[in-house]
Amino acid sequence: MAVKIIESCVNCYACEPVCPSQAIYEAKPHFRVNSKKCTECEGDYPVYQCASICPIEGAILNSLGEAINPPGSLTGIPPEKMAEAMAELQAH
Amino acid sequence: MELPVLNDAPKAAGGCSAGSCGSTDDQMDQLPDSIREKVQNHPCYSEDAHHYFARMHVAVAPACNIQCHYCNRKYDCANESRPGVVSELLTPDQAVKKTMAVAATIPQMTVLGIAGPGDPLANPERTFETFRRLSEEAPDIKLCVSTNGLALPDAVEELSKHNIDHVTITINTVDPEIGAKIYPWIFWNNRRIKGVKAAKILIEQQQKGLEMLIAKGILVKVNSVMIPGVNDKHLAEVSKVVKSKGAFLHNVMPLIAEAEHGTFYGVMGQRGPTPDELQDLQDACSGDMNMMRHCRQCRADAVGLLGEDRGDEFTLDKIEDMKIDYQAAMEKRKVIHEAIQAEMDSKRLEKAAKVEQFKQEPKLDTRPVLMAVATSGQGVINMHFGHAKEFLIYEASPDGVRFISHRKADQYCGGDTTCGETESTLMRTIRSLEGCEAVLCSKVGYEPWEQLEAAGIQPNGEHPMEPIEEAVMAVYKEMAAAGKLDAKPEAARASA
Ligand code: SF4
Ligand code: SF4
Ligand code: SF4
Repeated sequence: MAVKIIESCVNCYACEPVCPSQAIYEAKPHFRVNSKKCTECEGDYPVYQCASICPIEGAILNSLGEAINPPGSLTGIPPEKMAEAMAELQAH
Repeated sequence: MELPVLNDAPKAAGGCSAGSCGSTDDQMDQLPDSIREKVQNHPCYSEDAHHYFARMHVAVAPACNIQCHYCNRKYDCANESRPGVVSELLTPDQAVKKTMAVAATIPQMTVLGIAGPGDPLANPERTFETFRRLSEEAPDIKLCVSTNGLALPDAVEELSKHNIDHVTITINTVDPEIGAKIYPWIFWNNRRIKGVKAAKILIEQQQKGLEMLIAKGILVKVNSVMIPGVNDKHLAEVSKVVKSKGAFLHNVMPLIAEAEHGTFYGVMGQRGPTPDELQDLQDACSGDMNMMRHCRQCRADAVGLLGEDRGDEFTLDKIEDMKIDYQAAMEKRKVIHEAIQAEMDSKRLEKAAKVEQFKQEPKLDTRPVLMAVATSGQGVINMHFGHAKEFLIYEASPDGVRFISHRKADQYCGGDTTCGETESTLMRTIRSLEGCEAVLCSKVGYEPWEQLEAAGIQPNGEHPMEPIEEAVMAVYKEMAAAGKLDAKPEAARASA
C-alpha cells in the first residue's frame, strides 16, 4: 500500500517535509515515493499528508491508481472550463 | 538629519511641493525618525533611492502552504513576482554565493530579499539558513522577506535574530467571505482546509503575525492585489486596519490574469484593473496611508536597478567560477555608498530649493496631466524611447509633480486577437502609455514620433539628462502656455 507521484508533479518540495514516514525524496524528473516506506500515513494522520499539501491536481495517486486530488478539486476551475481555455490557446 | 523621504517631500516645505502633493506622499514624514532612516535609502520604498540603489531576490523557497486564485504553482509566487515566471531554484549555499557575487559586482545592491518561488516561511529551514549565513558573512546587506502570513506567527522569533530589515505580508482582505473568493484552500494542522473557514484562519494568522512583528520592532509592509469586483472596494478598509496596527507602507498591486497562466482568475476570465482604476484606488488609500507606487512586481530571482534584470550575469555556472573577496568588496561598497548618499543629499536640497521657488510663482489654474518618462536611473531623463522597457508615469498639476507608477512597455498585451503577431512592439508600447499626454526621453526616432503623435501623445526629446521633475514641470508649463490644458483631451483617460 503506497501512494505514487507522477509526472505532473512540479517539484515544489511541499510534500517532502510533511511525510511522517520520510518516504518522499527528490528525484529527476520529479519527486518520488519510496513504496516500501510509505505507510499511507496510517497511525499518524487520518489523511495522506503529501496529498493534503500538494497544489497540483492529479500529481499524487492512491494505491488504486486514482488521483487523490481530481481535476477541479484544488483550483476550483471546472475541468470543462480549463479544457476550453486550453483549446482557445492552442488555436492561436 | 532632516532628510526628506519617499518622493522627496521636504519636511520643512509642508503642504504641496513640486516633489509631492498634499495628502499623498509627505505622510512619510510623519513616521518616527527610526523608521524614516531605515526607509529612505531603500530601493523598494523610497522613490528617489531606487534610482540609485538596487535590490535582488534569490529563489530558495519552493514550497507553499496555501493556494491563491491568481497563482499557478508551476510558476513563481505571484504575490511577489510577475505571474508566469519561473526562477532558477537555489540551495541556501548557492544563494549566499550568488548574493555575495552580485554585491561585489554591483555595489549599489543593498537589499537581498527572499520572495519565492513559493512562500519563504513555508520553507523555514532553507530561508533561515540563507538569512543566518548572510547576516554573518555579508553584514552590510539588508535582508527582507515576504510571506502570505500563514506561518508568520511561528517565524517571528527566528526572524528577529537575523539582520532583517523588513517583512512584507500579502494581505488581500480582512473579511473571510471575501477571502474565500481569493484563497481556495490552505494547509493547516495537517489538513487541507477550504472555503470561509480556511480564509478565516489565514486572516487571523496574518493579523497576528503583523502585530507580533510590530511588537518586536520589525518594519512591516503590506501588499495587496487589487481584484476588481472581489476586493477592490474593500482595500481601503484593509489599508485602515493594517495601518492602525503599525504597518508603515501599503502597496496595492494590480491583478495580472491571463488564461495562458492557467490560474483560476485567468481561466475564469477575471479581469485585472485598468491603470485608471488602480490609480484611483491608490489615491483613495493614500488618504489613509502611504502607497508604494514604484513597486514593479519584480521576479523572485531579479537582480539589478530600476526594472533592469542582470540575472543572466549571475547564473549558477558563472558564480561557481567567481572568486569573491568579500572583505575587500565591503570596503569598496562603503566608499561607493557614501558617494551615492552625498549625491542624493545634494539633489534633495536642490529639489527643495526648486520647490520653494515654485511656490513663489503664480499658481496655474489648469487640469492635471500624465506624462511618461524614460530613464535608466539617477533621477534624470537618459533613455532612448526605443530602448525603454518600462516607463515612469508622473502627474503634473498646478500643485507640482508627483510620481504615479511604472508601466512595462508591453504590459497590457493580453495575448488576445488584437495583439500578438499582428501588433508591433511599437504599437504595444504606445498602448501601454494610454492616458499619458506626453512622453519624455533622451531621443525619439522618426517612426515612433509620428505614431506617438497620432495616438495623442506628444513625444519630447528636449530635456536629455535633466532631472525628471523639473523637465516634467517645464513641459507642463509649455502645454499650459500653449492653451492645451483648458479642455479635457479626447485621447487621455477616455479609454484608459
Ligand atoms: S501517503 Fe503519507 S506516508 Fe505515504 S508518502 Fe504520502 S505523506 Fe508519506
Ligand atoms: S507537493 Fe505535489 S507538486 Fe509538489 S513536489 Fe510534492 S508531488 Fe510534486
Ligand atoms: S502565496 Fe505565493 S506561491 Fe503561494 S499560492 Fe499564493 S501566490 Fe502562489
